[in-house]
Amino acid sequence: MKRKKRRLKEYRFTTSMQKKLVILFGLVLLAFVGLSVRLILINKDSGEQYKKQVLAQQEYDSRTIPYKRGDIVDAKGTPIAMSEKVYNLILDNKLIMEKEDYLEPTLAALFQCFELDEGAIRTYVTQNPSSQYYVAAKKLKYEEIAPFLELQNDLENNPDIKGVWFEEEYQRLYPYDSLACDVIGFTGKDNVGSYGLEEFYNDILNGTNGREYGYLNDDSTLERTTKAATDGNTIATSLDVNIQSIVEKHILAFNEEHRDEAREGAGSSNTGVIIMDPNSGEILAMASYPVFNLNDTKNLSGIYTQEAIDAMDDDAKYEALNALWKNFCITSTYEPGSTAKPFTVAAALESGKITGNETYYCEGHLDIGGHTIHCHNRLGDGLLTVKQGIEKSCNVVLMNIGLTVGTDTFMKYQSIFNFGLKTNVDLAGEARTDSLIFDPNTMVPTDLAVSSFGQGYNVTMIQQATAFSSLINGGYYYAPHVVNKILAPDGSTVKNIEPRILKQSISESTSDIIKDYCNGVVTEGTGVTARPAGYTMGGKTGTAEKVPRGTGNYVVSFMGYVPADDPQVLIYVVIDEPNVAAQDNARYATVMTRDIMTEVLPYLNIYQTEELTEDEIEEMKQKEELAAQTVSKNSVSGNEVAEESVSGNELQADTESESSEGAGEESESEEKEIEIDPETGYAIDPLTGELLDPQTGAPVDPTVSNLE
Amino acid sequence: MAGVGRRKRQPEYFFDYTLLFVVLFLLGFGLIMIYSTSSYESSLEFNDPAYYFKKQAFASVLGLIAMIVVSRIPYHFWERFAFPAYFASMILILLVMTPLGRESHGARRWLYLGMSVQPAEIAKLSMILFLASLVCRMGKSVKSSKGFLTILCVPIPVCAMVYLITDNLSSAIIIFGIAFLMLFVASPEYKRFLLLTALAAGAATLVVYSILQLSESGKLGFRGERILAWMDPEAYASGKGFQTLQALYAIGSGGIFGKGIGQSMQKLGFLPEAQNDMIFSIICEELGLFGAIAVIMLFVLLIWRFMIIANNASDLFGALLVVGVLGHFAIQVILNIAVVTNTLPNTGISLPFISYGGSSVLFLLVEIGLVLSVARGIKFKDAS
Repeated sequence: MKRKKRRLKEYRFTTSMQKKLVILFGLVLLAFVGLSVRLILINKDSGEQYKKQVLAQQEYDSRTIPYKRGDIVDAKGTPIAMSEKVYNLILDNKLIMEKEDYLEPTLAALFQCFELDEGAIRTYVTQNPSSQYYVAAKKLKYEEIAPFLELQNDLENNPDIKGVWFEEEYQRLYPYDSLACDVIGFTGKDNVGSYGLEEFYNDILNGTNGREYGYLNDDSTLERTTKAATDGNTIATSLDVNIQSIVEKHILAFNEEHRDEAREGAGSSNTGVIIMDPNSGEILAMASYPVFNLNDTKNLSGIYTQEAIDAMDDDAKYEALNALWKNFCITSTYEPGSTAKPFTVAAALESGKITGNETYYCEGHLDIGGHTIHCHNRLGDGLLTVKQGIEKSCNVVLMNIGLTVGTDTFMKYQSIFNFGLKTNVDLAGEARTDSLIFDPNTMVPTDLAVSSFGQGYNVTMIQQATAFSSLINGGYYYAPHVVNKILAPDGSTVKNIEPRILKQSISESTSDIIKDYCNGVVTEGTGVTARPAGYTMGGKTGTAEKVPRGTGNYVVSFMGYVPADDPQVLIYVVIDEPNVAAQDNARYATVMTRDIMTEVLPYLNIYQTEELTEDEIEEMKQKEELAAQTVSKNSVSGNEVAEESVSGNELQADTESESSEGAGEESESEEKEIEIDPETGYAIDPLTGELLDPQTGAPVDPTVSNLE
Repeated sequence: MAGVGRRKRQPEYFFDYTLLFVVLFLLGFGLIMIYSTSSYESSLEFNDPAYYFKKQAFASVLGLIAMIVVSRIPYHFWERFAFPAYFASMILILLVMTPLGRESHGARRWLYLGMSVQPAEIAKLSMILFLASLVCRMGKSVKSSKGFLTILCVPIPVCAMVYLITDNLSSAIIIFGIAFLMLFVASPEYKRFLLLTALAAGAATLVVYSILQLSESGKLGFRGERILAWMDPEAYASGKGFQTLQALYAIGSGGIFGKGIGQSMQKLGFLPEAQNDMIFSIICEELGLFGAIAVIMLFVLLIWRFMIIANNASDLFGALLVVGVLGHFAIQVILNIAVVTNTLPNTGISLPFISYGGSSVLFLLVEIGLVLSVARGIKFKDAS
């Protein structure tokens, strides 16, 4: 040891070695200087670009927070369209596969909590270890993910559940499925509304997405900030879920009753009903047929057979869906028929061309401009006053009045009543009718003659109902609307949409006269079957032959209002091509009106003012019994109506088939006094209008039992 | 020489406090940077932001104890282990293939002996010890071409094993580099080294050229792709170039004074395992050019102290030990910074004392202990 040490000490670190070490140090120093220069150059040349790059990468890291689209609620605040938060199950394979310990516990927890294809998920996770975003399940409710969250958050027992997270999203839900489908419309991907309210109020219903992101503050330090999403506003409508269901129930009943009767298919090509408040333009219900499920909008199976659907190509399917989604009440145009007669008379009275005291003689037809235009009653109605002309819906009387008014004045009043113009109702898809009315410059006398009873020009249901409201409410033309309030997400009011009077269409005195005439239609004219028992009503029937003439296709309708002297509710029923042997019978519309109004009026707290006849009481009892047997159809023997042959070889026109027999048994006994004995029969409560059960004294509401 | 004998009444032996303080500062700074860079990822992964910090602090304390112990032992004590250590290091490398071996990040480089140890780290230390001893034994014959070749050949079996068995090219390069630098200092020759350097440079150029040619045929291993990614990191941004590019982003976005300690954005998942080889880029991002150059200056100071100690060592063996340690540090720091700045192709080389790695810091501190031991052997001139 000592020897070795001495020997080694002999070899000293020589001067040349020291020199070389200094050189080595110099070289190292040189390398460091070079690297420092490199560092400075990176900063100088690319510093700005890299700074941006770093921030850009942070942007990528940011996360969108979805907003909640606003609800649509009915007049009572019941949601008819709402957004529900749902969760997508996302797998981050990279995290799951990071450690062997993670895979099995994570998969086990997943399979325990969710119904997943075990094999497929396992294969995907193990085969794609770099995938960081895989949607394993979509649109899960919170209740569905809660058990998994519990497992995941229980770090003591399950420390190895990794790489699973939930992406939030909102899903549009329609709690009443098909109810008011045409009015509500639906919302597709990315919160884009289609049809109805969803499309018209799309911008108001939508909010702004929030974001979670990082940014540099003044000290250039990174801060993470969450900018919360702004949820969309809620719209409150004047629609009423109960009224809407009553209406849709009766539309459905009619269409089922007459299914496959004269031809294959539903009971009508289409059936539209609008119920509105004539004193504000608010729409309480609006429905058409057929309907579709808003939660499953692309399902045609309710209307077509499976074979028919299979036979469709994409275009045909698209067309069928579009036809299904459109709102008949605002999109389809048709010739209004006799419901237009009060407008002709109103124009004549208002312009002073007639006084209302005139009489006209009807011999069954009128020759105008070389054409013979028939009245529906070819035998002739004889000598009629203006009021009788309306009551009997006599075409000859109306043609005479129309010719008295003249083309210019008639067309001026068409424009005053807004025909040919949009009503601008707050629903998407209202049809333009400007090219579907006559041009005063090219109009010939026969055009004027047929227009006087509602043929030859087209209207939409909403136009007709809105204009008719102004005839009976004192002449105020209100803008029709569905939405009356916009609410913030917290429930506070953003905007009230008050009823808006757009114009004065006729004077109040003319309105009173028209009301008187229309009341006569229901008391002794063509509309007697429309009156719900216990109420006064006014209205006008309509039976319009469709083009091409002579094929036997008709649009039958009834426009009615209750009570007769002070209208509170307006109903307009239009049945397009009823599926019966003889379509030209407005009774289908009047009976549906009565059925609907019998249920709707008590709901609206409009009380019975008239005494019930024995027959009416009998009928109600029967209905209750029927209801007790859980039969929901309340048929009013719609087929017994006498048929009247109508020929249409010439310029064919309006036909009305309501005659005295059409009035039925009810009208016969209308005027009779009935003893109402509280001990033996149903009694009318004078305060509430409810029927009282004789045994218990408790109110018996026929509408309630019918609903069952 | 410098730092030696300023006052008359001084202890008999020299203790290099400058070196000690530089080392302690680097260690402390390294721990802070490890905590800064790893806390985000480790809190995600282990629910403990200090997970890596704690492990590194434990290894550092262990290393400091080892350093003090080694510095107290006269370095000639180790000379008798020079030959056995050389062969033992080779056996340890072989042991990696046995069940004692541990795999991490897809490479089997670790041995589990109570704690995870890289045999390559042991090989570096034993290479320094073995070569220092060998040069002393060879005496004047070092100057001959036979001696030159002998010393050049000594590290080759170890390097080959490190490369072939543990698939660790960077450690093989470091081991060979240490030997090369020790030989450079020990040999009075210049021409041979210039020739060798030129040969190496030529070979490297050839390799890069052939890889560029091969890239068109598409038959390349991961090292080949690394070369391509080095040439144009942006073209390989999603693959091999990703880490390099992210490191460059970090360096470039730091500016002169950086974003402030703890404020790095790149460590938030963009630069994977930033606490390992790429920690220098986070230093650049958080402390800017100022901090980066300050760290380089600290290493310069460290290497300068090594040079002083070597030049004043009481004998050749001690001086060569210090030269070996100097070579080890210099090579690792230069290569690490060169890789981070994309001056050289990406290969896993850690930054001494700062990068995360328990066995690395432990063996580096043992080397410092050896250097301190050599420094203690310096006798003050007026004492002798």
